[in-house]
Amino acid sequence: MTSARVRIAIRDLSKTYAAGPREVPAVSRVSFDIHEGEFVAIVGPSGCGKSTVLNMIGALIPPSEGEILVDGRRVGGAPPAGVGYVFQKDTVFPWRTVERNIALGLEYRGVPAAARAARVREAIALAGLEGFEEAYPATLSGGMRQRVALMRSLVVDPEVLLMDEPFGALDTHTKLGLHAELLSLWAARRQTVVFVTHDLSEAITLADRIVVMTRRPGRVKMLYDVKLPRPRDVIRLRESAEYLREYGEVWHALGEEFEGGA
Amino acid sequence: MSRSRWAVIAWRLAILLVFLAAWQYLTGIKAISRTPGLYWIDPFFISRPSAIAERFLYLASDRVRLTIWQMALSTVQSTLWGFLVGVSTGFAAGLLLGRHDRVALVLEPYIVAFNSLPRIALVPLITMVFGFGLLAKIVLAWTIVFFIVFFNTFQGARSVDADLVHSARFLGASERQIATSVIVPSTLAWTFASLTPSISFALIGVVVGEFIGGESGGGLGYLIVQSLGTLNAADMMVALLVLGAIGITMALGIKQIEARLLRWRPEYQKRP
Repeated sequence: MTSARVRIAIRDLSKTYAAGPREVPAVSRVSFDIHEGEFVAIVGPSGCGKSTVLNMIGALIPPSEGEILVDGRRVGGAPPAGVGYVFQKDTVFPWRTVERNIALGLEYRGVPAAARAARVREAIALAGLEGFEEAYPATLSGGMRQRVALMRSLVVDPEVLLMDEPFGALDTHTKLGLHAELLSLWAARRQTVVFVTHDLSEAITLADRIVVMTRRPGRVKMLYDVKLPRPRDVIRLRESAEYLREYGEVWHALGEEFEGGA
Repeated sequence: MSRSRWAVIAWRLAILLVFLAAWQYLTGIKAISRTPGLYWIDPFFISRPSAIAERFLYLASDRVRLTIWQMALSTVQSTLWGFLVGVSTGFAAGLLLGRHDRVALVLEPYIVAFNSLPRIALVPLITMVFGFGLLAKIVLAWTIVFFIVFFNTFQGARSVDADLVHSARFLGASERQIATSVIVPSTLAWTFASLTPSISFALIGVVVGEFIGGESGGGLGYLIVQSLGTLNAADMMVALLVLGAIGITMALGIKQIEARLLRWRPEYQKRP
């Protein structure tokens, strides 16, 4: 992947939070590059600042030191253009039906109604949400709601997709189903994805490269290239020897961080 | 409807019938002799169902100058106007102050002070300013409804989920689009929850206004004070019955509207 263009450059990034009179360092001098079309997962023990890094890439919070460049432009203020974000929390608008949720980004951009309807229909078909177009989120399961949130971000064709533990609240089976869907959607468009998770098996299943972070204050402990071929079968993958070998290697590095922690 | 549902309705009807029969019977027993006035329970104070029905028919007929229907219409009209004006101004003010912390901070003591003032105490002043007509009743209802809606909306506007706003921003929303597509709908959910108490309080405000407003304001509250002047318990009961019917109808109507507007809420969803 080193041949591809650098899409997101993270340089000496630090974040310090003020907790009363004390200053708590959350992220300390993090630097790494994310290339065009690359799927990068950030893993680490809870509280290591992995979500903080993602939020700084999305300009949700400003860095204390260092900088982030997306396509060479320094991130700050408003969210960078062409960047989508999927939250862990349910952020589907409860007062809008499934199709009107997915249509949101297109409405904001002033896409004409006919073109909008066509693209929404396509997205609904891709996500297997047919028959639920008119349903309100309250009637859907957590997995389906997260699928709506994912399609809502993808329908506007972002070049970069930031995902903050999007499947963290789902059960294992639902999660695996969504992994398969995410991989096939990603294979079609090859967005640059930054995916934060505390679940190592999720990171290995999805990513090209894993950024392992240390416990607080979070630093980059290891950049690991996942050497599993694509396309990946999310179920069968887990039984393969290669998967177990990769898992073992990263687990060892990650385990050191957990041991020293709480 | 299931059997048990019918049983509940039958019991309710039975209780009503027993109550009416007892009222009719007990107010008919003389204490000593046939001397007027000496009843065990005196119908002079609480009237009797038969007398109330008679007065109702009389007040509903065209033999009176101001029929019960005209009075009811006046009460309903003022209530709806007070409600509409109160809800719209309360919503606008709540949304504005809920999203502008500085303004809210500056105005807070005035809002709290005005809201803790018993609104009934304002009736004479409102009557002085707005006269003895429809307008005074509407203004009184408005001063009550405004604050109910205002506080709910204010709370709602402050508790808009920041992550919904972030999501909208990532989807390319302008500040204006965020206001119309996130802040207003999510605040409205809180506003709608205040509609049912608002209509009830609007009715209270209007009736109190009518107590003072006199004949030019008309309305059922006027019939009640007029009956007090003539010591006519039956007329008073007629007014109370009609008021009760109006109150129930309005509350049920608002509930329907609320269920329609909040149909996306889990409590109004029929799971497929």
